Amino acid sequence: MDPKMDSGMICKYYSVDEAIENGAAPIPLSFDRTVDVQCTIDIMDHLLSCEATWHRGHSLAQTVFSCIYLLRPDRTSSHALLHSYCSVIRATCKAVIAVVSDARTHEEEDLFIMAYGLPLTGDGDDKCLSMLNAVEETICRQLRACKSPLLKNRAPEDVEPLQNSFDLEEHYCRALLCRLRFRKHFYHVLTCMRRPQGRGLELARKHIASCLLELDLIRNSSTFLSNNSFGKDDSEDTTTASGRQPLGFDSSLNCRLSAPTPPRAIKLLSWKKALDYFVKLLRDLDNICSYSLDTFLEGVFRFVVQFQKSQPDLVARSLLQFLLVQDGKLYGRDPLYAVITKAAGLPESAKNHENLKNQYIVQLGQLVINLLRVLCTNSAWQRRKLGKILQDWRVIYMQMEMAFKKDIAEIVSISNGENAWMKIFQHILIWVEEQTYWISSRFLVLGFELELYSPSDYCMVYWYLSVVLIKLVEKIHLRALMNNETGKRKGKKKGASKDIGKDFRIPPAVSFLQCQVCLAEGLVMMLAALRNEHMIAQSPSPFNSEYERFFQHFELLQKACIPDNITYDSYEQSTRLARISNLVTYNCFKDAQKIAKELKSSFSNDPEKLVELRRIEQVAEHNSVALNLIHKVGGLDPSLKISFEFNHHPYFGTALVKRS
Amino acid sequence: MESKLDGVVEEEETRKVQFDASEIEYVSYGGEHHLPLIMNLVDQELSEPYSIFTYRYFVYLWPQLSFLAFHRGKCVGTVVCKMGEHRGTFRGYIAMLVVIKPYRGEGIASELVTRSIKVMMESGCDEVTLEAEVTNKGALALYGRLGFIRAKRLFHYYLNGVDAFRLKLLFPRMESHPSLPLMANAADNQRDNDGL
Ligand SMILES: CC(C)(COP(=O)(O)OP(=O)(O)OC[C@H]1O[C@@H](n2cnc3c(N)ncnc32)[C@H](O)[C@@H]1OP(=O)(O)O)[C@@H](O)C(=O)NCCC(=O)NCCS
Repeated sequence: MDPKMDSGMICKYYSVDEAIENGAAPIPLSFDRTVDVQCTIDIMDHLLSCEATWHRGHSLAQTVFSCIYLLRPDRTSSHALLHSYCSVIRATCKAVIAVVSDARTHEEEDLFIMAYGLPLTGDGDDKCLSMLNAVEETICRQLRACKSPLLKNRAPEDVEPLQNSFDLEEHYCRALLCRLRFRKHFYHVLTCMRRPQGRGLELARKHIASCLLELDLIRNSSTFLSNNSFGKDDSEDTTTASGRQPLGFDSSLNCRLSAPTPPRAIKLLSWKKALDYFVKLLRDLDNICSYSLDTFLEGVFRFVVQFQKSQPDLVARSLLQFLLVQDGKLYGRDPLYAVITKAAGLPESAKNHENLKNQYIVQLGQLVINLLRVLCTNSAWQRRKLGKILQDWRVIYMQMEMAFKKDIAEIVSISNGENAWMKIFQHILIWVEEQTYWISSRFLVLGFELELYSPSDYCMVYWYLSVVLIKLVEKIHLRALMNNETGKRKGKKKGASKDIGKDFRIPPAVSFLQCQVCLAEGLVMMLAALRNEHMIAQSPSPFNSEYERFFQHFELLQKACIPDNITYDSYEQSTRLARISNLVTYNCFKDAQKIAKELKSSFSNDPEKLVELRRIEQVAEHNSVALNLIHKVGGLDPSLKISFEFNHHPYFGTALVKRS
Repeated sequence: MESKLDGVVEEEETRKVQFDASEIEYVSYGGEHHLPLIMNLVDQELSEPYSIFTYRYFVYLWPQLSFLAFHRGKCVGTVVCKMGEHRGTFRGYIAMLVVIKPYRGEGIASELVTRSIKVMMESGCDEVTLEAEVTNKGALALYGRLGFIRAKRLFHYYLNGVDAFRLKLLFPRMESHPSLPLMANAADNQRDNDGL
């Protein structure tokens, strides 16, 4: 059942004031200055756990703002250390909310950005960095003083120590410094990454490196802090380095402010897990910052897809989206019509054509922006959205095609200028189809990553995938041919274009996809043959048939006619006759292997593609062997158990043959 | 039910009970006296109990969709469901399904949901849905055998941060036959294309 359908909550205090009156958040935290410092560090650590838990999808009210000190910004002003820390926390939360709400992809962030009623801005939070610097400066002096006591005796500069115990002074100073510095650099990372057109990325990387360094120091400080702590809890779940419970938190306080959040108690990430979370976040951010702002759309897509493989969380994905799409332009820099003409492989000069301002190209630009946004969302959400936007891509294609045909008919005597435009238009038209099939293939492939297919669905999924990939290959090939032709026309005289087919080499990108097509087709036939020969378990459902499953899995593709004329019948017919014996003679896996081998040299400086080719080879080889084995012993041995695994490739399965 | 206790289970609780399938009695929800039995069973499987209002909502409005399984007078399993309009389709929804540990693996859950699904089908539902944790292998296998597909993955669906699958079972439609175009809409688009 949906957990949001249930309700029920318990609160300890009715209001923040009541909690404060009851002494839940004293200031100072203790009149013993050593204890005061210890408690302050505990609050800092617990806030880190809260912050990471928030980033991972819980409400702000139940996490960071369960801190009573944060809820009453003015109260802390007498405690410079706590005050500056609370201030930078609020400012950071505000900045993070801005990033995520600007990205507005409506995935999981609705809960994330909900902050009404919370004091996100305290008076003076805009000066949080200077406050932080001042406090840091003081502690630096205290550290220096305690390291050279002689010097201190001589200099009347009068540095009051941080706390009472001389032996612990250096350690406490250091424990505080790394925590303060982390906050400072992290805040800088966010501001740098929000600079327009990726201008702050280089500086952001420096701050990221500093953050990682400070995180290391923070982690190391736990030995000292837990050794000097009483009443600690040694479990792995502790939210502080010392292992103590922090003062001043009550997660039930905001339950009335955060009405739409699930009212149940939440479990915070432990302090160690929170540190791990931030390390991962910073690595993901570093990955974004080192991106070279590719001007080819294909390269952008590739980067995003690759980036997503590390499963970045919401904050990192939102920052990537911010970088990619600003002011309706790619990187806030390149207008979409220019990006599209470049992506379609048109010459630089095409960019200046008048007609590029027409409504279709403008709409198309919007679709590309949407696509970029969707590609930055979590894969569960992404798949659903990709399925939906397919319809838009299909519609614009049909509209453009109609306009194109009408124009062609109207222009009886084609003048030179119009002719040029028709060429551009035609290129873009094919490019649109190509994108549509690319989106479709990504939609299907993501289903594997999300484990949406059960083994009994594999056959139809590979079948659909192969159909879509074949279409994709066709379009890429066609566009390559056209580009080749355009290129030739320029070089040679007219009339020479008749023999373009002859010396035209199949582009490696095309062969690469062909290789995947072979693998998919091999799997379709193998699965179909196993089914037809009753060698894999099938239990017909009491309520519906394969047709309903097919319809449900591919409903969105079917609705958008991707591809035209593809129905359950086509699937049924193409798999009905598959038999193991035929497959052994005509073995698609062998073809895949062969193409993969030949292709390696074409991608010698593309490690990503090489890895993929290697995987394809492995899957093909394994399945080829399995096929032969099944052919030899299958009929004789009814105890043969065949299953599919994804141990060599994320979405092309390998057959596992076992005797049971 | 999804957010399960991962705590230790008492030996006693898990010990299998020997029984014959014919000894299990299945009854449709019969009134207030059944409510504590259902609550008791479901709460055992949850880390935090649902409020009584949640249960009442289901069994008062759709008593015909809830079933209980008894063995020698002891309630050993239950299913709780609802149905209604959802974006233009009439949809059944399975809210809770539980069989106590000593009685698992004997087809009791399958029998319970099958009964609910049949009533939904007869009541004119187009489809049945539910959510299950991605890690709940047992439930996923059970529903898979009944013809459910995993239609969507729901990111961080449960409060423990675990994803869920939305499972769906589509009933065959009178007019739907494989050789006919899949959608009226698809047929329209087709015509547009041909006209060009
Ligand atoms: C899920 C649950 C209801 C299954 O009850 P059950 O009576 O054991 O289920 P059945 O005996 O009807 O099982 C039917 C089929 O489901 C599959 N199945 C059930 N439990 C399974 C398990 N633990 N592992 C693998 N498959 C399982 C099997 O395919 C089984 O068929 P088989 O026994 O012929 O192989 C029970 O385990 C339970 O109460 N779990 C906790 C609550 C829960 O998760 N509910 C579902 C919420 S969506």
